[in-house]
Amino acid sequence: MARLVDEMEELRIGVFVCHCGTNIAGFLDPREVAEYAGTLPDVVFVKENLFSCSQSGVTEIQNAIKENQLNRVVVAACTPRTHEPTFRAACEDAGLNPFFFEFVNIREHCSWVHKGMAEEATHKAKDLVRMGVARARYLEPREPIVADVEPAALVIGGGVSGLTAALSLANRGIEVKLVEREEELGGMLRRIFRLYPSNIDAREFIARQVEAVEGHPRIEVFTCSTVEGLQGYIGNYRATISSQGVNKREVHVGVIIVATGAAQLDLGEVYGYDGKRVITLIELEERLRNGELGAKNVVMIKCVGARVPERLYCSRICCMTSIKNAILIKEKDPEARVHILYRDLMCYGVDNEALLRKAKESGVRFINYSLERPPIMENGRVRVHSDILGKEIGINADLVVLVTPMVSQDGVEELSRLLKVPLDGDRFFLEAHVKLRPLDFATDGIYVCGTAHWPASVSESIEQALGATARASTYLINKRVTVEPIFSMLLDEDLCRGCGLCASLCPYAAIEMVQTEKGIKAQMIAVACKGCGTCGASCYRRAIKMNHYTDEQLIAQVRAAFSG
Amino acid sequence: MCSGRVDPTIILEAFLSKADGVFVGACRRGECHYVTGNLQAEGKVNLTKKVLSYIGLHPERLVMEWMSSGEGGRFVECVTSFQEEIRKLGPLGKGEGIGTEELQLKLTAAQRVMEGKKLRWVVSKRLEFKEKGNLYGEVFTEHEISRLFDEVVMDELTLQEILLRLRMEPLSAKTLSGMINIAPSRILRHLADMKRMGLVSVSTEDDGRSPVWKAV
Ligand SMILES: Cc1cc2nc3c(=O)[nH]c(=O)nc-3n(C[C@H](O)[C@H](O)[C@H](O)COP(=O)(O)OP(=O)(O)OC[C@H]3O[C@@H](n4cnc5c(N)ncnc54)[C@H](O)[C@@H]3O)c2cc1C
Repeated sequence: MARLVDEMEELRIGVFVCHCGTNIAGFLDPREVAEYAGTLPDVVFVKENLFSCSQSGVTEIQNAIKENQLNRVVVAACTPRTHEPTFRAACEDAGLNPFFFEFVNIREHCSWVHKGMAEEATHKAKDLVRMGVARARYLEPREPIVADVEPAALVIGGGVSGLTAALSLANRGIEVKLVEREEELGGMLRRIFRLYPSNIDAREFIARQVEAVEGHPRIEVFTCSTVEGLQGYIGNYRATISSQGVNKREVHVGVIIVATGAAQLDLGEVYGYDGKRVITLIELEERLRNGELGAKNVVMIKCVGARVPERLYCSRICCMTSIKNAILIKEKDPEARVHILYRDLMCYGVDNEALLRKAKESGVRFINYSLERPPIMENGRVRVHSDILGKEIGINADLVVLVTPMVSQDGVEELSRLLKVPLDGDRFFLEAHVKLRPLDFATDGIYVCGTAHWPASVSESIEQALGATARASTYLINKRVTVEPIFSMLLDEDLCRGCGLCASLCPYAAIEMVQTEKGIKAQMIAVACKGCGTCGASCYRRAIKMNHYTDEQLIAQVRAAFSG
Repeated sequence: MCSGRVDPTIILEAFLSKADGVFVGACRRGECHYVTGNLQAEGKVNLTKKVLSYIGLHPERLVMEWMSSGEGGRFVECVTSFQEEIRKLGPLGKGEGIGTEELQLKLTAAQRVMEGKKLRWVVSKRLEFKEKGNLYGEVFTEHEISRLFDEVVMDELTLQEILLRLRMEPLSAKTLSGMINIAPSRILRHLADMKRMGLVSVSTEDDGRSPVWKAV
């Protein structure tokens, strides 16, 4: 346990100026910086290191802490991105709380960017050190927060994504509560005939998964059910599941996986839709399953309602779905004529490209059209302007299939409000970071997978479900979550007027308004807080303190910047 | 720490410490590492700019730019142009022709305003007002919000400035009006409000014509 410095204890600040070989020392004068540091208030020890981060540098720092009873350590070197953990650990090993360490970057922020201006760079390094020392005076000891994680998961949505996630977690020994609002599990795959690219039967495939889930001792399935209430934070959620709108049950889980899927856009009566001779893609899947296509001349029109001004995105799966079905039609009846009218083709990956080739070889015709000149329906014919031929052509059609995009699921707004996780402009769930955290929400402990997130194929949905469960398992298996103690807290309960501004601004749902003996007060949930500090910057009562970035620390730093 | 942590009072602290310019760098819109902190910062920066211009300072002294941590080139461009702009404006106060003491007083008033309940509340709720509407479901446009700000900022600034000046010496409404450059009738309205709030009193050294006001 690191030593906590008593408030009354006098400040003893040690400053270490790193040469970083020639990275720093080659472009500014570290000796001058170190000498200057020695003149700053409460600085009792100064040393230059050739490499502060090397074993010998770290030992020098640790010895100095012990020999000089240092209670604040400022290292003027490089970036916290790579070396903050090193120096914090060094302090801790020497018996000093790691949060008494302050990092000043005189490399990326100084020597590297002011090459050939040694004098100015040295001057700026002094400014930066002065600011660091000023902040160090106000640093406070902190201990990491560790919270328990209930080893149970709530999975919302029982399509292929939700089923995969539930099985994967349950097989790792996690209790799973699976909530599906329909009567049956399976989701969209119950309505699909064959799956591209493998050509397996979708219903058989999903039935096997449903069976595995229903028979699993650690999965409890709630059908005809929705999540109605939610409280808590990572490791400790309490969700109310409502079944048939009457039976309510509260479950206690550590994480939540959102797998609520997507819907197929229903445009009503565009292109003369009648459900008989003009049908949707899903209706085509049904006909193919029942083996009653009832047509010799099939025309599929793609991007109906997709990539148009009100819906700019590409739904990604429709091209392959059309191609898959075109091949199935040709296989059953080689005489049939199939035309696919497309704007662009989205056939990514080796397997999908092979299918596209196969479709072309089996005689499926692809005709390119543009948004400006959509196909026109005529009695028994479709007229389309081919961009490649540069002229209009007429195609006989006794069945027209409208290929519409996947759109966000009904009821997502409600769910987004309940879980306090965001939707994007097209009302799909929005991840924390498109590249770095594609399956997480910004709120810890809640994950997304499958078409709830974005139009995706079955294999992509499965990959995402497995990825999301892997992310969640880090906490579920350890049964613990450790959080950096950089969180906001209520400085003084009496100052808080319970106005709720902070709670409404918090992007992580880490602030709750609770009834106390003194009235309604803000309550910070440290494990859920990410330390952005928005609440502290907004509270008009100054009742919130942002740990490790307190007003005192920031103001001291700002003042020091201009006091040189 | 996120740009959402940028508190207008800390920006003003920099100007009070004689910074000639303040630069706030934030994640790009929609890419905030902390979800919406950058948009909160934007509101706060814009409001602070307004306050700067009301107290007679060039609002261009405060700059906010959007960039990702991967955009070194953009950072350099932004900082360079910021630097050039500030150089053109000259030292704080001098560039505007405001004396040191006057500047200190105005900035202190501004900092108090940014500390106050009204503005902190309104600026933070700005996004919500725009997207979801207020308690009564009225949705505000950016223009309406800006007008709302104008009114509140003007009132709050005048109030703080009156208070600071009265703390130094008792003054008549007319003198105050000259100093703050606001019509006597408006100054009087403020004084009446402030009296009701218990912030000021009418001095007994009344010369019979214009009463003298004092901070309580
Ligand atoms: C016509 C068509 C053909 C396709 N063909 C193929 C193909 O050949 N190959 C391929 O790889 N992909 C294909 N796809 C894509 C495939 O359907 C999806 O990848 C897959 O269904 C995604 O699974 P999911 O579990 O994410 O969502 P879904 O299958 O949509 O399941 C979501 C489940 O969540 C439930 N739910 C929704 N909201 C709630 C709520 N609030 N509470 C509780 N439960 C809720 C729903 O009832 C549903 O059961 C096709 C899609 C369509 C539309």
